[in-house]
Amino acid sequence: MSVARRTFIQLGAGATVGILFTPTVWKALDDVSIWTQNWPWIPKLKYGATEAKPTVSKMCESGCAVKVRTVAGEAFGTMGNEDNPLSGGGICPLCANGVQVKNSPTRIKAPMLDGQEISWEKAKEVVTEQLEAAGSKVAFISGDQTGTVNEVFSALLADKGSDAFYVMPGDMQAADKAWTGMMGGTGQIGYDLEGADLVLLAGADALESWGPTVANLKSFAANESGKFLFAGPMQTKTASVTSKWIPVPAEGMAAFTLGIAYYVLQAGKTVDTADFGQFKAMVMGDYSPAKVEAATGVKAERMAALAKDLLTASNPVVVPAGPVAAHGAAFALNLLLGGAMKALPEFGKAVSGAMSRSEMLKADVLEGVNTDLLFVYEANPAYALPEKVKAGFTVAFDCIQTETTASANLVLPTLHPYERFDDLASPYGVADATYSMGAPVCKPSVNAACAATFVLGLADLGFETFEEVLGAKAEAMGADMDSLTGGEAFVVEGETPRAASLAANVLGKAAAPVKGTGAVGLVPYTLLNVGTANRATTPNAPCTISNNQLMGDHMVVMMGSTTAKQLGVSVGSKVKLSGGKGECEALVQIFEGVMPGVVAAPLGLGHTVGDEFSKGKGDNVYKILTVNSEAATGASSWAGSTVNVAKI
Amino acid sequence: MQMKEFKIKWGMVIDIDKCTGCGACMVGCQVENNIAPMTKSDPYNYVQALTKPRDDASNKLRTLTWMNVYELSNNKPFPEHETAYLPRPCMQCGNPACVPVCPVVATDKNEEGGIVSQIYPRCIGCRYCMAACPYHARYFNWWDPLWPEGMDKGLSPAVSVRPRGVVEKCNFCHSRYLDAKNKARMDGEDPMNLPDGAYNTACAEICPTKAITFGDLNNPEHKVHELAKSPNAFRLLEKLGLHPQVYYMSEREWVRKQGDNYNADGGGHH
Repeated sequence: MSVARRTFIQLGAGATVGILFTPTVWKALDDVSIWTQNWPWIPKLKYGATEAKPTVSKMCESGCAVKVRTVAGEAFGTMGNEDNPLSGGGICPLCANGVQVKNSPTRIKAPMLDGQEISWEKAKEVVTEQLEAAGSKVAFISGDQTGTVNEVFSALLADKGSDAFYVMPGDMQAADKAWTGMMGGTGQIGYDLEGADLVLLAGADALESWGPTVANLKSFAANESGKFLFAGPMQTKTASVTSKWIPVPAEGMAAFTLGIAYYVLQAGKTVDTADFGQFKAMVMGDYSPAKVEAATGVKAERMAALAKDLLTASNPVVVPAGPVAAHGAAFALNLLLGGAMKALPEFGKAVSGAMSRSEMLKADVLEGVNTDLLFVYEANPAYALPEKVKAGFTVAFDCIQTETTASANLVLPTLHPYERFDDLASPYGVADATYSMGAPVCKPSVNAACAATFVLGLADLGFETFEEVLGAKAEAMGADMDSLTGGEAFVVEGETPRAASLAANVLGKAAAPVKGTGAVGLVPYTLLNVGTANRATTPNAPCTISNNQLMGDHMVVMMGSTTAKQLGVSVGSKVKLSGGKGECEALVQIFEGVMPGVVAAPLGLGHTVGDEFSKGKGDNVYKILTVNSEAATGASSWAGSTVNVAKI
Repeated sequence: MQMKEFKIKWGMVIDIDKCTGCGACMVGCQVENNIAPMTKSDPYNYVQALTKPRDDASNKLRTLTWMNVYELSNNKPFPEHETAYLPRPCMQCGNPACVPVCPVVATDKNEEGGIVSQIYPRCIGCRYCMAACPYHARYFNWWDPLWPEGMDKGLSPAVSVRPRGVVEKCNFCHSRYLDAKNKARMDGEDPMNLPDGAYNTACAEICPTKAITFGDLNNPEHKVHELAKSPNAFRLLEKLGLHPQVYYMSEREWVRKQGDNYNADGGGHH
């Protein structure tokens, strides 16, 4: 059959009309427009029984006592542990995001040797070989301030004939150097912020980042009749809720404290130590209010008024931060006042051969580490101590990727705190010796292991697993492991502190303010939502970071309008800060809560390794800090750091 | 407009003198309500090279912060300068500005308890409610929520995840209200007379200083009932007459004054 032209046209027209009338085409177009806009991925919620399981979280430096919320066994959220005195129901912004970090793609999924995935057996072989080769030239840097893991690590060092145990620099170390080192005291210093009727926070940003932050916040809220005062170079978040902010330059804090001590001594207060007379003569001679005013700019009347307030208070306390001298001066003042400073007994050791906490705090990491074999545990020295740490072979234990794991030879993934046994023994600053323990609340999601158990397998330290170590720890202190893992804390009351000396000789020299040579002072400050030296910000925290710290990918530094005028910059100016051995870029923000002559810069930004929430965000202020050796105490400190500011 | 009265009126009293602006409430809120972290890259976008990257959390115009902490300043020069922090959830207004402007009744105030609802499947994303809300408490999903690989397994079972194109806001963790009422029923108690603390929001629960107190403003046995009457208590933009159910407290006069700053010179709706 031939198709005539007319037939062809008729068929064509018929098909066109037919297509117009059939819904198929329109339905297909409609479907295409809908389906191309659909979610590529539909999030599904998990349903089942919900529980809140108590454990400890080690995201922040002091650690938080938490309860992990689970649905059908899967962790999804973190809340505070009301039964634990460290929490009272609250937690910090870092630990609030614990589950999200646990599930983060930056988790280290398996042991890695020079970038290649290996088995745990192979990892053990490699470490054993390295340990044999290194002999006693082995060191540990621990980012954990409160855990019994440190006992295991220090016992391994002792087994190998080394005492190179380091902690990351912080106030806990400075306090110990002042208290047990200079003043011959015993125990760990604590501050009863809840029981005190007057709290002078001498540089301690206690309600934001210093010490056991959540416990401090809880005490602050509970202490309704007490008065809180904050002294420091910048109006921190702590200063936003204290009764008063007293502007004091960071390097002048020790002198300022002794300036107050002058009036307290004048009022006839004494301490029963051999060198009291010498101390009194030193303060009355070298730290008279006029001299302190000349050195620090703090008015003598202000110190007199503070001294009067402290003397009339029935249970005052001064809480220091920063260099060793500032701690020593505050401890001496607290001893004179006889208030709410405490000395906490240390809990019994579980591992024989381990160091005591005070012994662990002796070595100074800022002086530099150079060793054959270095173990780093959940610390980030490659980020926070640039160019300070050198080792022939580095083994980094961590649960997420950091600058340190990126540069280590062997990376060993640790279990996340919610997947492991861990403990929290007296975070520095708490008023009573407080011990909390955490058991795993969910299953490991990667091929990770407990770092302490791994280390126990390297030498005969008397235990097979870390769980056994914690059992021995509970037994040593006479606590019940079941109630500890059930979320209850074991508490031993803090005692009245007693010092053998007031370290008059050392303090007299160390307290004199020393400042660098840069154009303006540098005030580095920590906000927990921005991150700490060891932990970067978490997935949900970036939207809580204000424009005063980060704008887009640029770090923001704050200064008063007079400083900005002096430097010839204004809001939004792009500047280069140079100090120490490095440089940082930042945008300028005017904030009248910063003392004239100083620039405030947030620590914790500028990561080069990590997830998209922290990597490439802002700049790393640790690069521009200057390490000074404190006069007389010999301790390393970042206080008195200065920078030059250039507009770019 | 006639204000709807409820027997139960859930509300908050936020003590600004206790808030340090730490941000724990904001993080806790996001975790509770399945608000995805802001990610720039989209692994499901196969033509990424041709499209604009998504916004990350630095763009505060695109973040979803049902609870948002603002920094206040008394605007005085050094050394008289003072700061304060103001957490801002949805005010759950007695006379909400957002409800009458919604063309599809996706938001309403009609449930016992006085919480302003937001029905995501009904929302058409016109954003009239966002324009109407003087507290900037409403947020638009500019992007589909995306959790980085593996993080979606830890989602809260309480709240459905919203797609792009809809408006969302704080609802006082409404599913916790349902849970509390269910528990009361199971325990043989009256779900319409919950004891203080039986229903609490995630932000109030997590706050380390307990600056946020949550409860029934109408119930004399709840702490908020008295706290809201404190001489230091105030509400934001009270002159607009929206009758927010969130109260603030501060002993500092400059803070209280800023609560009404848009109408500092008087005028406005009485």
